[in-house]
Amino acid sequence: MCSSKKDKEQSLLLQGRPGKKSCRNSRRTFLKGALAAGGAALLTGCGAMPGSSEEFALGWSEYFKKNYRLMTEEEKQETATRLERLADLKRKENVQISTKEAVGNVLYGYAFNISRCEGYMDCVDACIKENNLDRKEATQYVRIFEMEHGQMNVESGNGKYFHEVPVEDKFYMGAQCFHCEDPPCVKACPTKATWKEEDGIVVVDYDWCIGCRYCLAACPYWGRRFNWNEPEVPSEELTKKQHYLGNRRRNKGEMEKCTFCIQRSREGKLTACTEACPTGSRVFGNLLDPNSEIRYVLKKKKVFRLKEELGTDPKFWYFMD
Amino acid sequence: MNRYHVLPTILLVTMLVTAKPSAASESKLGAAIAGATEPVSGQLVDAVIPLPENTVLAREKHPSGSFWVKTRKDQIERFRCSRCHSGKANQPQVNDGLKLAHGGINLSHGQQKLPCTTCHHKEQRDFLALEGGDKIDFDHAYQLCGQCHFRQKEDWIGGAHGKRDNYWDGDRVIWSCTECHNPHSPRFETRWPKTYSKTLNK
Repeated sequence: MCSSKKDKEQSLLLQGRPGKKSCRNSRRTFLKGALAAGGAALLTGCGAMPGSSEEFALGWSEYFKKNYRLMTEEEKQETATRLERLADLKRKENVQISTKEAVGNVLYGYAFNISRCEGYMDCVDACIKENNLDRKEATQYVRIFEMEHGQMNVESGNGKYFHEVPVEDKFYMGAQCFHCEDPPCVKACPTKATWKEEDGIVVVDYDWCIGCRYCLAACPYWGRRFNWNEPEVPSEELTKKQHYLGNRRRNKGEMEKCTFCIQRSREGKLTACTEACPTGSRVFGNLLDPNSEIRYVLKKKKVFRLKEELGTDPKFWYFMD
Repeated sequence: MNRYHVLPTILLVTMLVTAKPSAASESKLGAAIAGATEPVSGQLVDAVIPLPENTVLAREKHPSGSFWVKTRKDQIERFRCSRCHSGKANQPQVNDGLKLAHGGINLSHGQQKLPCTTCHHKEQRDFLALEGGDKIDFDHAYQLCGQCHFRQKEDWIGGAHGKRDNYWDGDRVIWSCTECHNPHSPRFETRWPKTYSKTLNK
């Protein structure tokens, strides 16, 4: 990088004149500028002209930013600040977008007690609220299915039961993204918009997702959700504490998924579903700490994972008392 | 054995010698977990994790050291019990006193419906009592519950039963038994689910 981000933004504001400095990517800066003029005309034509020139400039810098993984710490901070300002300008939402990195010696793991879950679905509800999931399409990361004894296939499980729970002779089983250690969705992504973080969380850079849905097809566990329409979350219901890779607002045409509540877990908190569970069926913790709850479960309980034969190494275990 | 047999035999022997144990136990994740034997001390994430109010140091040991449980006494409506249950008879002399004070209790614990004094101290009503008669503080009711439910207690200390309070990192604070289970009718009640779940491929 030979010109700073600030210089670039300035040159953009000057109606796309190429920067005077002799610089390797001056051609790119020029093209950006030229596109800016065209883009502005296009937006006006569509009647979607942003409210202010500030909003336009911010939106523009956002559009041409790098993939999150290639950003320096500073650039990550800048994009978060821009997104916070944009949220304020567009919807008058006062959000805080964190870019907190993974800490060392942490690998998140999850366990689900199928003999304890009573099917109340408090977790499903808590997840929707915490992660700002689309209310219109009723997007869900976490699901609970009522299962017959002997049945282990969640794909045929019933999630729409209209009666009081628990029911005798049934058991309840949750499913969500299993955060595979060798995630097939990541391999499928053509833009490298999805990857596995150091602490084992599989995340999406929503702004680099092109909406091809290859990852959705690649995931053997139905862990991903696609925004076919513009997601709708009322401002007053929005969770304001957000993470760039987590619960910030998504757009139409972007893929999203469970992030083990990255905005919470990286602050040392339990995921929303774990906290909401009234029966203690959900165990979340650090797999690298031999004294953690999750390690106790792995050591002492009968555990199994779904489709283990695929070799994806999911970090989500089911267990029985 | 002619020369047509030699090569396959050598191959077979080589395969058997170099064969590794099953792939599952050899996974990278499995190795990472098995390799992490060093106990983690202190807090990992850079965030303020306050020790919540209303917690007491548990009178049990966990491999990582001490842990805390949420208090219960401050949540019991009629505590202290000795306000009524005191004096010689230890029984308040009020007409319909039992009904007025404890009528809301639906006793359904154990197949034989255990009587009050199985858990409550006969003389000192501000305490619970172990089978042998030892006093137990209401905040440490797990010591009492664990007499019968020892398997659950072991899992509760380890972390497979019960709930941790808010944080996975920092000091370990967990919920006491009676935070979730009503000691008088410990089974969870049936109720309507909060919402529904879509089928998996939607």
